[in-house]
Amino acid sequence: MAELQKDPITRSDFLGLGVIGAVMGTILTIPPVAFVLTPLIKTEVEGESDVLRTWERVDHVANIPEGEPVSYVIEFPIRQTYGDDRIQEESGVSQQEFTVRNGVWVSWRDGQPPEVLGGIGEGDEVSRDQIEELTQHLNVMNSTCAHLGCPVRWVAEVEELLCPCHGGLYDINGEHIGGPPPRDLYRYTFEIREDGFIYITHEFDGDPYIV
Amino acid sequence: MIGRVKAQTVETGKLLADWIEDRTGAVSMMEKFLYEPVPKRGAWLYTLGSATLFLIVLQFLTGILLLFYYVPTVDHAWNSVYYIMNEAYFGQLIRGIHYWSANFLMAVIGLHMARTFFSGAYKAPRELNWVVGVVLFLLVIVLAFTGYLLRWDQDGFWASVVGIKIGSYSPFIGGYVVNFLIGGDVIGPATLSRFFAIHVWLLPAILAPLIGVHLYLLRRHGEFGSEFEYTERLAKLKERQRLEEYERRYGLGEEEEERRE
Ligand code: HEM
Ligand code: FES
Repeated sequence: MAELQKDPITRSDFLGLGVIGAVMGTILTIPPVAFVLTPLIKTEVEGESDVLRTWERVDHVANIPEGEPVSYVIEFPIRQTYGDDRIQEESGVSQQEFTVRNGVWVSWRDGQPPEVLGGIGEGDEVSRDQIEELTQHLNVMNSTCAHLGCPVRWVAEVEELLCPCHGGLYDINGEHIGGPPPRDLYRYTFEIREDGFIYITHEFDGDPYIV
Repeated sequence: MIGRVKAQTVETGKLLADWIEDRTGAVSMMEKFLYEPVPKRGAWLYTLGSATLFLIVLQFLTGILLLFYYVPTVDHAWNSVYYIMNEAYFGQLIRGIHYWSANFLMAVIGLHMARTFFSGAYKAPRELNWVVGVVLFLLVIVLAFTGYLLRWDQDGFWASVVGIKIGSYSPFIGGYVVNFLIGGDVIGPATLSRFFAIHVWLLPAILAPLIGVHLYLLRRHGEFGSEFEYTERLAKLKERQRLEEYERRYGLGEEEEERRE
């Protein structure tokens, strides 16, 4: 220690160096940190989303069976770095359409289709009342487990949705009945339109973080 | 004739070594780097550190080779790995080494840590080397984690989803952690780009100099239990045994006296 003090600095020098150091440090730190955190700032602070708020068609209600859920893979267009549609259009280089692929399970509540479904076939116009009735009986769930996000599958023998990763269990309505998941499967915001088709958008009852 | 050639070669060799030693000090440096007293007992366990180093060097070499063909974009990553596996000569070997060496690395680095722990080699004055070692260990874990997504196949993808989502359970900042890691609010082009940047640039760039520090600190204090410390500890043990023996006799004498009284 003694040697370090051979060339003592005065209090004001020390303060001056400290202030200059702090200012320089801040100036040098902000650009790289903000650069790396861009997506975080855009999504968390500015509330932007990479997923375009489109409505994607899933299937006709008449195709949802009794007693078991059916799975679909639905793609939502996204904009993210080089996948950004504006950038792609301007550069004209990439032909690839960038999407996020979601696994979707659709089932009737408790596996029981509502009465009104009986008279509806593909091509029929569906009335408002029927839509209301159908909507109340439909489960449209994201297939990633509410625990750590593995895709769940239907095991017909036990009539449960089973997660292969840590044994999370859900019933046909996506309600959590066992294993580590802290909640039920995430549900999509969906609508049934007059043509009888189910449409979903990338919006959930809660924040699933990664889908 | 042969004898003369041999003598001449040895002579030139010596000259060359002397010449290099004169200008660079490389020869004495080599001696310093290559020779290190190691305790006799459990000597094999002391090779675990070198095994770790060997595997990390393998990772660097095969990783750099993979980069000749690997393309870190969502539309090409899988295809480029497929090319490495099916078209590039020895592609399966190079990628296989990178894959298996990564796996063995986790095991070997764990064993190396266990050896250090159980032999007490983390104690003064080697505490800082333990700290550096722990940082190295964490870096290697993150390397293994980020590397797995680069394959961009079902295995790597879902394993990464699970890994990233573990971060969502961090108190208060869960959402931020996830969005930082995936570079947005869904896994997409940004995710692969940043995992690539972290795997191939950021972490190796931190890892390499830290390995240097680790080795420097190792040489500064020597291998724990090396010759000197060993004899010292042995001497201490002998001294303690001598004292105990003395005390036993003396104490026994006292007890005898008490009993007789
Ligand atoms: C301690 C060091 C490292 C570990 C533990 C590690 C681990 C991994 C793992 C587990 C994978 C996935 C491989 C597979 O499943 O096939 C991977 C892929 C990859 N790594 Fe590394 N790695 C390390 C260092 C490096 C370095 C230094 C580079 C380049 C400078 C590199 C470049 C790559 C590339 C380009 C891939 C993608 C190709 C592929 O998936 O086979 N790695 N790494
Ligand atoms: S991810 Fe489904 S139980 Fe853990």
